[in-house]
Amino acid sequence: MAIVEAKESAAANDSKGSGPSALRQPRDLQRTFQLVLATVWLLDAVLQIQPFMFTRGANGFSGMLNGLAPGNPSWIAHTITWNGSIVYHQPILTNTGFALIQFVIGLGICWKRTTKAALGLSVVWSLGVWWFGEGAGGIFHGAATPFGGGPGGVLFYALLAVLLWPSEGPDRPFVAARTVGVKAAKTIWAVVWVALAVLSTVGSGRSPQALHDRVAGLNSGQPGWLAHIDRSSESLFLHDGTTMAILLSVVCLVVAVGVFLRPQIAQVTLVLAILVFALIWVAVQNFGGILAGGATDPNSGLLIILLALVYWPLTDTRAIRNAVVHNTTGATRQA
Amino acid sequence: MTTTPSWLYYLFGALMLAIAAYSLAGLILAVVRHRTAGRDVDVAHIFMGVSMAGMFVTQWAFGRRALWELIFGILLTWFVVRSIQSVQRYGLHVPHEAIHAAMSFAMLLMYWFPMGSSPSGSMSMSSSTATRVDPGLAFVLAFLLLASAIFTLASPVKGASHHGTHARAYAMSGAAGSEVSESATGDAPASISIGGIEGFIAAPWLEDASHAVMCVAMAFMLILML
Repeated sequence: MAIVEAKESAAANDSKGSGPSALRQPRDLQRTFQLVLATVWLLDAVLQIQPFMFTRGANGFSGMLNGLAPGNPSWIAHTITWNGSIVYHQPILTNTGFALIQFVIGLGICWKRTTKAALGLSVVWSLGVWWFGEGAGGIFHGAATPFGGGPGGVLFYALLAVLLWPSEGPDRPFVAARTVGVKAAKTIWAVVWVALAVLSTVGSGRSPQALHDRVAGLNSGQPGWLAHIDRSSESLFLHDGTTMAILLSVVCLVVAVGVFLRPQIAQVTLVLAILVFALIWVAVQNFGGILAGGATDPNSGLLIILLALVYWPLTDTRAIRNAVVHNTTGATRQA
Repeated sequence: MTTTPSWLYYLFGALMLAIAAYSLAGLILAVVRHRTAGRDVDVAHIFMGVSMAGMFVTQWAFGRRALWELIFGILLTWFVVRSIQSVQRYGLHVPHEAIHAAMSFAMLLMYWFPMGSSPSGSMSMSSSTATRVDPGLAFVLAFLLLASAIFTLASPVKGASHHGTHARAYAMSGAAGSEVSESATGDAPASISIGGIEGFIAAPWLEDASHAVMCVAMAFMLILML
């Protein structure tokens, strides 16, 4: 009872201006990004329990899965249709299970004690979904253009789980380096962006008609303002699709080398990456089709933006401020 | 062939009623103990829980639409004003009242752009009504609510969803003489030494959990409106 009154008293004192600003800790950026990733997983879980996901047929989840098989080599197509068949026969059971796993991942990342287990599960789940649910992102039949989400949005969940694996240490020079180290983080970055550059210009990646059809296919059911943007994208791809693909490839290569340059230049290339993929996420991927009410995830654009942010070089000013606050907090604890 | 998951709506509806009942208990406790902090959130959760239960399961709905719109309009105004006051008092930050303002606004959207109901009594899956909410707005709100659920559950300052980080952190710090088992700056949730059912109802983790469930249910409803 006394405690409740004490809390009330504290709240009242606080409201008078004797606030607890001294309790503020420096923000743990790795933890913050983990929680943003958890939010995306929770979004995926909620999208998974949309009514159509529990249904059979072409418009259901099994139909969605089976639609990814054509064009793939038979040994891949077979695994996708096998998965689609299981979902078709047990739509409620399988979809409930899929949703629960995503809820467990999202909420598991919340608790520090279960963060590692949840991130580990997310890597396994992402790779499984990439193969059985996304047809390996279309890379085996030349349809993995980054414009459309190639090489598979779900791969970025796995990559972020690895880069944001909990570890002690400073966030400098950038958050992604905290766990795997600067050298490994930069290598991963370069590999990812060179791969995106290559995928931009192979197969249907440089085909104006394929890119045009991809956007046109998403147009249905979108809100008016997004449909308007889509029409501009369609026109752009139909007339300058190849040029756009080559341009994206060049941008990806510039971004790939950006992290090896001075922090100021790296920041410019990261801003370029964020702007380009924000544009792609909106104007080409249409937020993964979420706004049309038939999506299972937000596609790759959002995850690539998040990936770019975990590579953001932290300036000295911020590091010094964090160090000062950290030392002050440490001294207070010791006292 | 379709298999509309009406059980899912009943599950969400039952959860909403449970949160409304829990918030009512918290409100009664607050009145009996002359506590003012968190009362507004409890009131909001009662109305949101009862209202959303009626949206998930149409047989459980009651009250005129205009009345609910009035209630959530008042709640929206209240939380917006409280948010502004919090910013004026503590400086630029995201007050916990802001997310409750967003939740109240989301409730208004649900009444302004209602969905149909299926013959089974549970909510219809179709959102292709004549007027529909702008999907971009619904998506942004849904994402904000999910982020609130995650960041609330992960916050080292427990009970922040009801009392805000400022008042709660100060109380937890022991500065006001309160007994806490863990520092508010620690990772483990701070436990307050109140026993019995009263302690259970006042448990900060339960306040946060109810807020998180409410956020997820509301985000689900907004996604269904797309």
